[in-house]
Amino acid sequence: MPHPSNLTQGILTKRIPCWPFADPKGRHIVGWDEYTATGGHVGLRKALALKPDEVTEEVKKSQLRGRGGAGFPCGLKWTFLPKVTIDASGKESNAGQRYLAVNADESEPCTFKDRLLMDFDPHLLLEGIAICCYACRIPTAYIFIRGEYHHQAKVLEKALAEAYAKGLFGKQGLLGGSMTGKGESFAVDCYVHRGAGAYICGEETGLLEALEGKRGWPRIKPPFPAIKGLFGKPTIINNVETLSHLPSIIENGADWFCKQGVTSTIGGPPSFGTKLMGVSGHVNRPGVYECELGIPLRTLVESKDYCQGMRGGKKFKGAIAGGISMGVLGPDQFDAEMDFDIGRKYNVLGLGTACPTVFDEDTDMVAVARNIARFFKHESCGQCTPCREGSGWLYQLMSRIEGGEAKTKDLDLALEVATSMGSMPGTTICGLADGNNWAIRTIINKFRDEFEKRVKPTFVPVKMTVGAGARG
Amino acid sequence: MAWITKNSGGMKIETRQEPYLTPAMRDTLSRNILPRYETKHGALLPTLHTIQHEYGWIPHQAMMEIAAFLDIAPSQVVDTASFYEEYWLRPKGRHTISVCRSLACEFCGQPELTEAIKKKLGIDVGETTEDGEFTLIEVECLGSCDSAPVALIDESLHEWLKPDNFLAKIDEARKHGAHGHH
Repeated sequence: MPHPSNLTQGILTKRIPCWPFADPKGRHIVGWDEYTATGGHVGLRKALALKPDEVTEEVKKSQLRGRGGAGFPCGLKWTFLPKVTIDASGKESNAGQRYLAVNADESEPCTFKDRLLMDFDPHLLLEGIAICCYACRIPTAYIFIRGEYHHQAKVLEKALAEAYAKGLFGKQGLLGGSMTGKGESFAVDCYVHRGAGAYICGEETGLLEALEGKRGWPRIKPPFPAIKGLFGKPTIINNVETLSHLPSIIENGADWFCKQGVTSTIGGPPSFGTKLMGVSGHVNRPGVYECELGIPLRTLVESKDYCQGMRGGKKFKGAIAGGISMGVLGPDQFDAEMDFDIGRKYNVLGLGTACPTVFDEDTDMVAVARNIARFFKHESCGQCTPCREGSGWLYQLMSRIEGGEAKTKDLDLALEVATSMGSMPGTTICGLADGNNWAIRTIINKFRDEFEKRVKPTFVPVKMTVGAGARG
Repeated sequence: MAWITKNSGGMKIETRQEPYLTPAMRDTLSRNILPRYETKHGALLPTLHTIQHEYGWIPHQAMMEIAAFLDIAPSQVVDTASFYEEYWLRPKGRHTISVCRSLACEFCGQPELTEAIKKKLGIDVGETTEDGEFTLIEVECLGSCDSAPVALIDESLHEWLKPDNFLAKIDEARKHGAHGHH
């Protein structure tokens, strides 16, 4: 079932050679001059000619959903910021200090899509940041990049230096102080802020804490960041890929964007646009592909345009849906469509980052569960007891099952632990524990026979009385 | 994240005359980094990065100096420094080898890679070689799953690793005696 695609070139990857459009061998870092010569900043110029609210309206109309994992509508998120008043002459009240925090803390295991954008086309992200800042009236943006992305941080720093030198950012106003639809220029400062190795900082409020110099403990919501975020000011947090979509949406219009991707088949919100899908694991040609949302996983894996089949001709056994938090797709779910319906249709948490790791028939799913459980035990920030303790128990249980020392009842205990922690049962502040429990639950449920083979039957003591007492 | 048992009141802090946070560092931070944040506390991560990068770890004395520099309590510095894994509160080797142990890497050959490195260096994960050259650690996803397994030597990422080709990279790092801290 090939996915019908009209794309002849990438949109996010216009300047980054990617299969199926071009050979990745030609990749290089796109500098300012090359960026502007290849259609760069057209979207931003168009945005600056509009009023900020008109930009927001266009993004809302595109129904662009966040690419960081949760799929929350980007334009809608922007409208949660406090309203500015506009007087009869069209003059806006000062929106005051607000912040944009760019989430470049790509730490979800199996996810490596934002890295591609930062590696090779940093000015696309910077243009997206400028558009978002203008639409949301934000004068200060921080790119929060994970500590392990040393090279990417350097690429961004260099691109930022270029962008400042060319007048994109800085006190003269966006794009050299261009007049905007607001009737004046609008100045934005943008900085790189490096993380220091903590998965939890990808959680939006954990990220804000890290920006404030504190340990990355997520905050209780409400208040939501759009009202009270970084340093107590209204703050928007958007993912790198989400922001990188903005230039083409503004340039070509929301209607154009809605022609890519798919509508929901189950009455949910649509999955419009393209998505970077990073495929890893046991396939012939792993890598990042730009696909329209809705492409079946089977096509992604088997098509000669994409991953070119399973490695060594092995059979498909399962796949991580999109980052390990999302849980696994079982052997009978190879045809799952990669869009935002996937969670409800295939019993996983969601599309996540749309970066599947594919497993062949030889993969030990108990070991997969143990690896995932260890990750969450290691990365639980320790703030909420159910997550801190539960993630440790799950890891111990999975290790025991893998080592052949567990009993049947341990499987049920694992499921019980998994269902009683997380923000969805309401026992934790953030969603880390949800990711943990969805991963473990879906693996046990979809591969239960493998787990049962590894555990010893539970001895159930039966109350028996013998001898004289037996008669009564 | 890491839970570290904090040393109690009886603990002795090793001090030296010369400050870790040098006047040059203070100057650069004051001019380029502090103005970026609404509070001085906001500059704590970049300040810790500066120390980590220069010395390869963050001595207690440096944390005291940072606290005074940013007008925050030493406990706030310790709180943050002990939370993030990239900050080392004890000295480590000149080069750090960080092997990714997350999902894609484990199932594409990481366990054999780690074993080969352990054997070559004669240390376990988390240890430093006796000559102080290498510290070996395992880390979570490095965001390069399509080229698994991967590892960092200091700040450089190495992809598509097999035990043989990576062991040669380690020798190269040893030869280039350059400052490898990050």
